[in-house]
Amino acid sequence: MRSKLNYLISISLKRKIKTKWFVIANLLIAIVIMGIINIDSIINLFGGEFNNKTNIYVVDETNIAFDLFKSQVDSSSNMLGGTSSFNYNVIKSDKSIDELKYILENDEEEGSSIVLNFKESSENILNVSMITKEYIDLVDTQILTTAINNTKSTIAISLSNIPEEVLNSIYSPVKIERIFLEDNKNNEDENMEIIMTTVFPVVILPFFMLTIFLVQMIGAEVNDEKMTKGMEIIISNVSPKTHFFAKVIAGNLFVIIQGVLLFLYAGLGMLIRNLFGGSNITGGVITEIGSLVSSVIDSNIGSSLIYVIPLTLLLMLITFLGYSLLAGILASITTNTEDFQQLQTPIIIISLLGYYLSMMAGVFKGSLFIKILSFIPFISAILSPSLLVLGQIGVVEVIISIVLMVITVSLLIKYGLRIYKVGILNYSSKNLWKKMFKALKN
Amino acid sequence: MLKVDKVTKFYDDFKAVDNLSFTVKPGEIFGLLGVNGSGKTTTFRMIMGLLEPTSGNITWNDKPIDYSVTDNIGFLTEERSLLTKMTVLEQCEFYGTLKGMSNEKINERLDILLDKFGVSEYKYKKIKELSKGNQQKIQFITAILNEPKLLILDEPFSGLDPFNVELFKEEILEMAKNGSMIIFSSHRMEHVELFCKKIVVIMKGKSVLEGYLTDIKEKYRKKNIFIKGNIDVGEISNIKGVVEVKKLPDEYVVQIEDNDITNEVFKAIKNQYITKFVVEEPSLNEIFVSKVGESYEK
Repeated sequence: MRSKLNYLISISLKRKIKTKWFVIANLLIAIVIMGIINIDSIINLFGGEFNNKTNIYVVDETNIAFDLFKSQVDSSSNMLGGTSSFNYNVIKSDKSIDELKYILENDEEEGSSIVLNFKESSENILNVSMITKEYIDLVDTQILTTAINNTKSTIAISLSNIPEEVLNSIYSPVKIERIFLEDNKNNEDENMEIIMTTVFPVVILPFFMLTIFLVQMIGAEVNDEKMTKGMEIIISNVSPKTHFFAKVIAGNLFVIIQGVLLFLYAGLGMLIRNLFGGSNITGGVITEIGSLVSSVIDSNIGSSLIYVIPLTLLLMLITFLGYSLLAGILASITTNTEDFQQLQTPIIIISLLGYYLSMMAGVFKGSLFIKILSFIPFISAILSPSLLVLGQIGVVEVIISIVLMVITVSLLIKYGLRIYKVGILNYSSKNLWKKMFKALKN
Repeated sequence: MLKVDKVTKFYDDFKAVDNLSFTVKPGEIFGLLGVNGSGKTTTFRMIMGLLEPTSGNITWNDKPIDYSVTDNIGFLTEERSLLTKMTVLEQCEFYGTLKGMSNEKINERLDILLDKFGVSEYKYKKIKELSKGNQQKIQFITAILNEPKLLILDEPFSGLDPFNVELFKEEILEMAKNGSMIIFSSHRMEHVELFCKKIVVIMKGKSVLEGYLTDIKEKYRKKNIFIKGNIDVGEISNIKGVVEVKKLPDEYVVQIEDNDITNEVFKAIKNQYITKFVVEEPSLNEIFVSKVGESYEK
C-alpha cells in the first residue's frame, strides 16, 4: 500500500503537471525564452530598413582623405560586430555634388545614402560637408564623425613629417600594467567581476519567477481544498502534518521540475542560436553569458564557481522550502482565494527586493547596508550569491546566510504547523489572529 | 461500539456541546437531531478527530479514534466536500486511496455503486459538471466506498428527490444489516423515522431527549386520534385532556394529553355518524418540536 504522504505528493504534482494548461504554459514559455535568445535572428528574418547597406559617396577634394576615411569606417564597422546594421559601402565618387544630390533625391531606399565632401582647409586641415535626404540615425552619425576626426588626425600627423616609427608609436595603444597588492587577484577576474555585476542578477532571475509559481501553487491548492470542504475528508484521513508536508514537498518538486525545464528551454535556445548563427547586437545579455562560459573556465572565478554554484543552489532550495512553508501557513489561515492573493503580495515583494538589491550591489560596492541585508532570510537567496560572485562577501558569509535560512525553516515548521492545524479547518475570519496566536501558544 | 462519553466542547467562551453522551452499537442506525447551530456538526467533527473535545471521551471499541482506525470510517459532510475540478473517478480514487484502498478495489467498488445509483455515465465527468443531486450521490458514494464500519452522515438527503432518498435508504439499511454503525443527522424527521432505532435530540449542545425511538414515542403521552365522519367537534373540544382539534380536508385530528382520554372522546361521539376512529402515536416531528420548544422556553 502506498504511503499516504507519497500519494498526496504525487496527486498534488499530477494536478499541477498533468494538465493541458501546464503543457500550454510551458510551450509558450519555451517559445518566449528561445525567441528572446534568438531575437536578432528573428528580427533579421522579417527584414527592414536596417538590412540595407548605407552607401557613402565621398567626393575627395584632398586626394588623401578617402583611403584613410574608408579604413576608419571599415574598422569601426568590424568593431561593432559586422552585422548588417553597420555595413557601409564607402564609394569614391567622380560625380559632382549636384549630380550626387540628384541621386540622393531619387534614391529608392530612403535614407540609405550619404554624400561626404572632403575639402582641404588651411585653418582646420579638413572640412567636410555631410549631405543626406533625411535625418540619419545617431549611431551612423557617431561612426562617421569618429572616422572623419581620425582621418583628420592622421592627415595632420602625416603633414607634420613625423617618421613612420614615431607614427606607429603614436597609434599603438598604451600598455597599462595592472598591479594588485593581493596575490590572488588578476586582471581577467577583475573584468569578469564587472561583467558579472550585470549578468548574475539576470542568470538568477528564474528564481524570482519560480518563487511566484511556488507560492501560487500551494496557496491555490490549499484554498481549493478548504473552500470545497474537501479538507474535512482529507484531514479526517491524514494528519494536518502529513498534508502540510505533502503540499510543501510537491510544491518544491514542481519548481525544481519547472526550473530544470526553464534551463532546458534556454539551452535549446542557445543550441538554435549556435546552429543558425546570430548577431551579437540585439542578443547582448545572452552573448555575454555565452562568452562568459568560455571565459570563466580559465579564470579564478571559474574555479570559484565550483563552490559558488552548489552554495547558490543550496541556499535557493532552502529558501524555496521557506517560501512554500510560508505560503502553506498563509493559505491555511485565509478563508478565500482573494484574501490569499492579497497576503502573497508581501512575499513576492521580499523576493523582488533581493533581486533589486543584487543589481544595486555592483553600483554601491562594499555597502554595509546591502551586506547586512544579504543575511536576512528570503532576501539572502538572491543577494548573498550575488555578493559572493562580486567578491564583496566570502563563502563564510554565504554559509551564515544558509544557516540562518535553515533556522527560519525550522521555526516555520515548528510554529507554522501549529497554525496550519487550526487554520485549515477554520472557515471564519472572526477573531482570526486571536485564534492563530492561541494556536501558536498551544 | 462507539461511545461518546460526557463530551463538552467550548469555542472560547461559547459552549457548543454540553456534556453529551450516547452509544452506537454495530448494526444500529443512530439519529443525532437538533436545530441549526445545536452542536451536531461539532459532535461529528469531534468523532472524526477534526476537533478535540474540551472534556470527555470518544472511543470506538474502547480505543480513542485516531488515524489508525479512520480507514474504517466513512464521513459525509453537510456541505459538499468534493474537489469539483476532478472527475468522478479521480475523486473516488483520491478519497479511496486516502482510506487505504487499492486502485483495483476502488474501481471494482465504484462501478457497483455508480450502477446502483444510476450514475455510471458520469464516471469520467468533472464533478462541477454534475447536477446538485448527482453531486450528492457521488459524495455519498465516496463516503461508503470503503464499506465503513462506522458511517457518519451529516444531512445526507439534502438536494435529493424522493426517488433518490429511497435509493440512499436502501443502501443505508443494507449497510446496517451488514453490521455497520451509522450516525446521521437530518432536519427531516420523516427520514429519521424511516431509519433510526435510536436518537438523541440536542439543543444548544445539550441532550434534551434520548433513547430508542419506540420507547420515546411510548413515553410521550400525547396521542392523536384521527376521526372521519359527521361529528360535533365542539363537544370534543370541551373534554378535559383534549389539547387541540384540527380540521384536515376530510378528517379531524384530535390531540389528547393521555391515552386515557381516548375513551371519553369515543363516548362523546359514539352515537354520531363515524367512518374512521384511529388512535396513532405522535410523529417524531411533533415530539421534536415539542421538546425543542420546551428547551427554548427553559
